[in-house]
Amino acid sequence: MKVLLVEDNERVTRFVTRGLREAGHTVDHADNGRDGLFLAASEPYDVIVMDRMLPGQIDGLAIIEALRKSGNRVPILILSALSDVNERIRGLQAGGDDYLTKPFSFGELLARLDALSRRAWAGGRETSLEVGDLRMDLLSRKVLRGTRAIALQPREFKLLEYLMRHADQVVTRTMLLENVWDYNFDPQTNVVDVHISKLRQKIESELERPLLKTVRNAGYMLTADD
Amino acid sequence: MIRSSAVNLAVGYVLFGIIALVAFAAPLWYAWQVSIQEGRAEILQEDSLRQVEVFRRDGVQGLVHFIDERVGLQIAGERILLLADPQGHTLAGNLPEWPRGIPQQSGTYTVAVELGGRPSRAMLVRTTLPGNYSLLVGRDLSFYAPVERRFWYGLAAAVAIISVVGVIGAILIRRELLARIQGIRQTVSAIMQGELSHRLRTHNGGDELDTLSQTINRMLEQIELLVHGISNVSNSIAHDLRTPLAELRSRLEELLLTRPPTQEIFSELEEAVADVDRVIGIFNALLRLAEIDTGMRRSGFVQVDLAEVAAEAVDFYVPAAELKGIALSFHGTGPVQIAGDPLLLAQAIGNLIDNALKYAPANGRVEVAALRADDGSAELVISDNGPGIPAADKPRAAQRFFRGDASRGTPGVGLGLSIVDAVARLHGGFLDLADNHPGLRARMAIESGRIRPVAAAGPQPPATGNALAPRPAGGPARAL
Repeated sequence: MKVLLVEDNERVTRFVTRGLREAGHTVDHADNGRDGLFLAASEPYDVIVMDRMLPGQIDGLAIIEALRKSGNRVPILILSALSDVNERIRGLQAGGDDYLTKPFSFGELLARLDALSRRAWAGGRETSLEVGDLRMDLLSRKVLRGTRAIALQPREFKLLEYLMRHADQVVTRTMLLENVWDYNFDPQTNVVDVHISKLRQKIESELERPLLKTVRNAGYMLTADD
Repeated sequence: MIRSSAVNLAVGYVLFGIIALVAFAAPLWYAWQVSIQEGRAEILQEDSLRQVEVFRRDGVQGLVHFIDERVGLQIAGERILLLADPQGHTLAGNLPEWPRGIPQQSGTYTVAVELGGRPSRAMLVRTTLPGNYSLLVGRDLSFYAPVERRFWYGLAAAVAIISVVGVIGAILIRRELLARIQGIRQTVSAIMQGELSHRLRTHNGGDELDTLSQTINRMLEQIELLVHGISNVSNSIAHDLRTPLAELRSRLEELLLTRPPTQEIFSELEEAVADVDRVIGIFNALLRLAEIDTGMRRSGFVQVDLAEVAAEAVDFYVPAAELKGIALSFHGTGPVQIAGDPLLLAQAIGNLIDNALKYAPANGRVEVAALRADDGSAELVISDNGPGIPAADKPRAAQRFFRGDASRGTPGVGLGLSIVDAVARLHGGFLDLADNHPGLRARMAIESGRIRPVAAAGPQPPATGNALAPRPAGGPARAL
């Protein structure tokens, strides 16, 4: 995907640019608000990573507001050192699509950018989801692995649905906490991992191919590929 | 300033008192004067008529005789009686001669006259009798002077008493005020010097200054708590942040010194990232605490079913509990509606469950209950059968970074219960840690204020995608 990074800190820029390029993405970079706004308005990007505080007259929120006013719907992830709820809400109200607080891990950033860029064209009103031979009927709320019916608790269903909607993408524990449980805190114990392993036991019997993979230092990925 | 305020007050009251007194006395004086004057004039006129009658009946000789007889009786304070012939020679009466200063016409006069050689004021009724005889019936007003003097003396005495009492009162009030304000000033200066344990003296009177002192004392308690909190936190931060930072530093420095093979470098770097994540975790928890403490989250309160939030949290933790062989269960008696922040409540309940799971023994049990207390407040009780918290540690357990002996060697930085406590206080409640015989019984009491009529019961609608749901500050930092 084509990513625009608007960030004035060199260290963060190098870290994000290298990481994204290594992951096979194209990265453009602007280190101030004016260039950022110019690039964002003139080039088509799949996703924009926007630092909130930028040198010069135009800060991150101003760029986002300007873009949204001109009808630009490109997904934007806001990067900020300001973590409290009000700042977050201001960022999202300005038109940001996601908000990541510094410092962040690259895995978290990449997973969120992936989710954002795909949401732009996915997210229709499908009635069923499929990953390999795993099939989820969203209307009857039935899950089948091949021909084997899988009984899931409501929350497990929601967890699997989220994973299937983000198939072939890395999904971090934080993303799962936020989207499956609506929690915004880090449980001290590895509760998410336990939920995942319970779900894994249900959707992968010993004879079946593993679908739900653990991605080291990042999270999980549901994929039919090896 | 104090000086003038007390004195001004006293002077004001004294003036007010005097004005009130004068306002009371003046009409009285006037009414008294008028009625006495009128009564006196009437009496004199009647007397005069009676003598005119005598004159008519008995002639000049008769009247002379009548007057002589009256004068002869020598009644003290008797009237002035005088009969003069047309030439102005005194025929009878108790004055040696016709006083000067009386108009020629008949009538009633109050004039300055010379009576017996001394100046005086008198009320006189002059009647001209047939044959141009003149009759004077009057009364020396100086006869009444003592009464009037007494009135004026009384008034003056009253004014004097008010003034003296006012001045004494002012001095006393001023002295009392100064003493108390001096006390407040001394205490406050001591506090400004850093002795935060000082408190203002209060009396049982409950007057205005007392109420003020009590309010200030409560403020001081809050300040002391905060200041102690801050110093505790700085100490603990120093300790809890230094440890992972020191590890991180030595790890990196060792890499520089030993230059090990690449594979080893990577595993060391991974550990280094984990160290940083621990530091970030502490920061996130501290920022969250600071955010809660500002009370700003209160603006986002909605109607929440505490029982539902708790039941969901229990659901969330059940698999983890099962893994440890702990029976985690929820006991509810129906919805418990409160005004609150569902996300923070979930975090607080999560922290309590997390805590209980950490300390409950294998095959232990953790019970979560949400109920409505008798006083109408909402309560969330989480009890375990772990080792509990030693009585000595209980008051400090919710303090920032406090870690009891039992928690050594378990993950966490000691902010979990602080967050629970902060959330409870944000919701107008408190966290109470009691003994469960054995184990810990953590009770979060929450005021069940109402925000708006039950529109959306339960937590906010699921925050999917980019909903406004706050998220943990990024990164995979696990430690809380």
